[in-house]
Amino acid sequence: MSTNPRKSSTRNNQNDTELVRAIQSGQVDLFPELVLRYERKLYNFGLRMCRDVNDAEDLVQDTFLNVFKYINGFRHEAKFKNWLYKIATSVCLKKRRQKKYEPERTLSLEDFLPRDEAEMVRQTPDWATIPLDQLLNEELADQLNTAIHALPPKYRLVSVLRDIEGFSTSETARILDISSTNVKVRLHRARFFLREELKNYFEHDRNTPSAR
Amino acid sequence: MTGTPHPHDERCLEFFKKLSEYIDEELDEESCRKIEKHVEDCAPCQACLETLKATTGLCRRLKEKPVPAELSDRLKKMARELAI
Ligand SMILES: [Zn+2]
Repeated sequence: MSTNPRKSSTRNNQNDTELVRAIQSGQVDLFPELVLRYERKLYNFGLRMCRDVNDAEDLVQDTFLNVFKYINGFRHEAKFKNWLYKIATSVCLKKRRQKKYEPERTLSLEDFLPRDEAEMVRQTPDWATIPLDQLLNEELADQLNTAIHALPPKYRLVSVLRDIEGFSTSETARILDISSTNVKVRLHRARFFLREELKNYFEHDRNTPSAR
Repeated sequence: MTGTPHPHDERCLEFFKKLSEYIDEELDEESCRKIEKHVEDCAPCQACLETLKATTGLCRRLKEKPVPAELSDRLKKMARELAI
């Protein structure tokens, strides 16, 4: 858990490349290893993208089925992990369309601007000055997860890929087939949305006394 | 409160739009310097930056949940069947 994700990602990618090439060359008995390697990542991605645990489980299963089906078409132009998330994302979007959810809400940056002098925060609140590892207890993690679920899906996707899965702006753009500018715009609004939820929590709903 | 910038001050607005790019180190040096200088003199923007940074940092620290054993078994079975 404590390894630097950036350092270990190069090695992981090399391992993935070898494993995927072996599967592509006919060693399909190695496929279960690939599943084992990514089931946890995909399950957590599913939990964040779908509200429902069963939907999250379906997402993992459908993603791996599609990976198996299309793996010979993967040309190693991107990292395997990025291709995997592209599939997971399209599975997720397809599910949404089938369920016929209500149309998506658009977040506007103006909504997060203080409307007048009285609404302005003039000083950094205490919570934003506490070391994050100290601040992030279970209750706060629950709050944040709930806030992420409350994001309209197109913002949630970008927020999850960028800030939770750790993909770069350009990687996220390629996974979602949108421009880098678009990724940045959505991420920015998503972060303001989440910040607003955290602010409300710290100002009104928190049960525990100040962490200081 | 003299010197307090208006919430719709143009420089604050410009700053507000670029905040995420600043946090993600996606801006050129000149833009970074401009932002840092602005934050020094503008407490509301400083507060805005710190809270947004904390929000982003918290997201990055969220922990993963383990895969339920039942799902893991089901996936293993599926993968083995596909591999035959
Ligand atoms: Zn300002």
